[in-house]
Amino acid sequence: MSERRIDAVAKATGAAKYTADVVLEGTTFAAVKRSDLPSALIEEIDISPAKEVDGVLGVFTAKDLPGGANLYGRRVFDVPILADGRVRRVGDPIAAVVATSREIAEAAAELIEVTYKELTTVATAREAIQPDSPLIHDRPWEYAGAVVTPDSGRNIQSVDSHGSREAAESALRNAVHVIDETYFTPGDHQGYIEPQACIADYHADGSLNVWNTNKSPYRLRDVLSSVFGLDPKKVEIMPTVLGGDFGGKGSPGDAPLCTALSILVGRPVKMVLRYSDDLLSTDGRHSSEIRVRLGIDASGKLVGGIAEALLDGGAYAGFKPVNTVNLHGIVDAAIAYRIPEFFVESKIVYTNNQPKGHMRAPGSPQAAFAFESALDELGRRSGIGPIKIRELNLLSDGDVNPYGSVWLEYRGKEVLSLAMSQPKSVDVPEGWLHGEGVAIYARSMAAVPKTSLRLRRGENGKVIAEVPIPENGAGGQTVVREMIRTGLGISADKIEVNQVSTSLLPTDAGVGGSRVSLGVTVAVANAIKLWKEMPADQEVVEITTDEGSDGPSGAYSAQLARVAVDPMTGQLKVLELISAVDVAEIVNPKAHQMQIDGGAVMGFGFAVMEDLLEEGGQPWALSMGEFKLPNVADIPKLTTALLRGGKGVGPNNIKAVGELTNCPTGAAIANAVEDATGVRIRRLPIRAETIYWGMKEGSAK
Amino acid sequence: MKINFSLNGKGTELDVDPMSLALDVIRGLSLTGTKEGCGVGVCGACTIMVNGAPVSSCICLVGTLVDKDVWTIEGLAEKMPELIDSFVENEGMQCGICTPGQIVAAASIDSAGVSTSEEIRKYMAGNLCRCTGYQTIVSAVEDHLAVN
Repeated sequence: MSERRIDAVAKATGAAKYTADVVLEGTTFAAVKRSDLPSALIEEIDISPAKEVDGVLGVFTAKDLPGGANLYGRRVFDVPILADGRVRRVGDPIAAVVATSREIAEAAAELIEVTYKELTTVATAREAIQPDSPLIHDRPWEYAGAVVTPDSGRNIQSVDSHGSREAAESALRNAVHVIDETYFTPGDHQGYIEPQACIADYHADGSLNVWNTNKSPYRLRDVLSSVFGLDPKKVEIMPTVLGGDFGGKGSPGDAPLCTALSILVGRPVKMVLRYSDDLLSTDGRHSSEIRVRLGIDASGKLVGGIAEALLDGGAYAGFKPVNTVNLHGIVDAAIAYRIPEFFVESKIVYTNNQPKGHMRAPGSPQAAFAFESALDELGRRSGIGPIKIRELNLLSDGDVNPYGSVWLEYRGKEVLSLAMSQPKSVDVPEGWLHGEGVAIYARSMAAVPKTSLRLRRGENGKVIAEVPIPENGAGGQTVVREMIRTGLGISADKIEVNQVSTSLLPTDAGVGGSRVSLGVTVAVANAIKLWKEMPADQEVVEITTDEGSDGPSGAYSAQLARVAVDPMTGQLKVLELISAVDVAEIVNPKAHQMQIDGGAVMGFGFAVMEDLLEEGGQPWALSMGEFKLPNVADIPKLTTALLRGGKGVGPNNIKAVGELTNCPTGAAIANAVEDATGVRIRRLPIRAETIYWGMKEGSAK
Repeated sequence: MKINFSLNGKGTELDVDPMSLALDVIRGLSLTGTKEGCGVGVCGACTIMVNGAPVSSCICLVGTLVDKDVWTIEGLAEKMPELIDSFVENEGMQCGICTPGQIVAAASIDSAGVSTSEEIRKYMAGNLCRCTGYQTIVSAVEDHLAVN
């Protein structure tokens, strides 16, 4: 039996301090004048009206940036701190005001006048790759970290692929039944409730302290030292609590801007985004257009498949952290299935939309919607059936997956069967159409423990764990506490887990992708081992780990959606969402369950509600009034069935769970809608109007 | 301008612009448990209790609080420890940014005649949570109402 989470009381009483709650002596406040146009040259910036406002300490544009530093990014340095002569999206920061209060800074920023010379807007990924499309960046291959070359093609951020197109085409030509359809998903936002915030405090001796809504402190430190030429040892990223993340808080956020401003004014500079600016100017989920072709033989076995994804990366590539500058979830689209010849290509392009980055299982919700919808369609059109086609083609133990890897176990058939066998409890409204749909998601996982931590003796027999990671809500610090509690056999109230600032530990790779539970725990286990062997007069053990262990293996989820549709209006009610989840051991059952439920609700939002409404180079959903997130009355009944007894990884023998249940939901609901109405929806979010017109016209949408 | 109201059970006089947002004024008093989220009265992170009812302080002018009985999470945590316990024991939170608002909204339920799970869900629909999927929050409120 585990103890309650370590941060519960502080959070419930309002005592927990988030970045926006931090107040420094002498703090100043920043606000930004943003671009009103998606694509334009800046002819003139008139900052004089803002400079004259009482309480304004300075107004700065790109030419003022210290040392000429301007570009930053997570891997590709193509994001300007302040626009240098050109804006590439609505919301690009053009000038920054520093003032004695937030209100003064914001009011002054509104007085800044920008004269533009408008350029042609590239509003969609499809437009961006046309041979005559305007270039968003003239020479994108020259950016530090770029993966493109002059031969990559127009407006390309990155292309990732796997398999042989020729072999897959040939396999499809020999197939008995083939499906060939294209699926669309919208731009989305992580929807954390805490807007991004930053305080940068630069000192004349070259040292810098930063509080930022950021989950990767060591990466942030490296980005800031690289952009401003600072000694990394003097860049201190301070501990903070994160008010939600879901991938959005891996980016440097406004830390580069606030750092520049603090250097310029010589005082701490704080900026807390208004939520509308967060929706406008951070890095949400890529919109996608994914064409899927799948072919089966007469027995229903998949013989070949091709998935071609075109993703809108927006104005900058700099918010994607991985070496491919792509989204691994797209390439992994077929990971649960046996497909002898599978080719996948993921092409991400520059447009004049908001830059996009990582959001809970990057690429997977889009790819799972497309792949699991196409497979369902193939099952239905061929007469084999949507369940049977999955049972026939899910991988079994000993199989090699389409990426050439052999997992410790494959539990796709078991999770599907478990989801199908759950009792159903919600009644269908009288006169409404009823349908059920399923979808499956699998992800690979391994313990990647690039991290460091320290255990220290405290007073009265306390053990203090000093960790490099912030708590983003998923419960990582509670996992650390639970391991110490059970490993050392001491009670929970004798253990503290504290994030420390970056100079106090050597390294860490950041929170994300279930990395804390799978990887950081390797370091915790090693530290506990050392602690037990340590002599009585020793006070501290410190450990740095960089070696993976176990795997490769994977984790599965299957979802069954039950829907009801009003035949008169097309109104859709998702009655219940049953998630069957592949697990090994569970460290903290309540937190584990919340990852499942929270994921399912996020998947539900992606399926039927969330949309940044990007059109003509402008996102139109710029407040939570328009960008709707599911509330507690919106959501379907959630049921979870755990498929226990799996083979996990890491010292706790566990499986990743945080990104399992938000991925299959879009397809599960769309598949249920076809089951109920005969209308195939190939575009998210699913709207009543779309179902209505589909029923009326008898066509797919 | 001087305005008077009761804050967390204590008579309070502030010299502020009555057109300031209640959220900013309250946070300016170091009561930072009241959080800024959406800023447009949708997410509920900034919920305070005014004369027993939940109010989004991000769209409430402080001048409207004159002579009112105002509670924030800090005051309610002392006044209603059993409600805090209910959220702690049920782990009705993950990142915690919405939690004070959820608890302030829940604290106001007593006077609203809400008891079934469905009624709780309707009552709490003004408090968004992006992490938990809501189940533990509903359980915390159910436990709290069952005890009271």
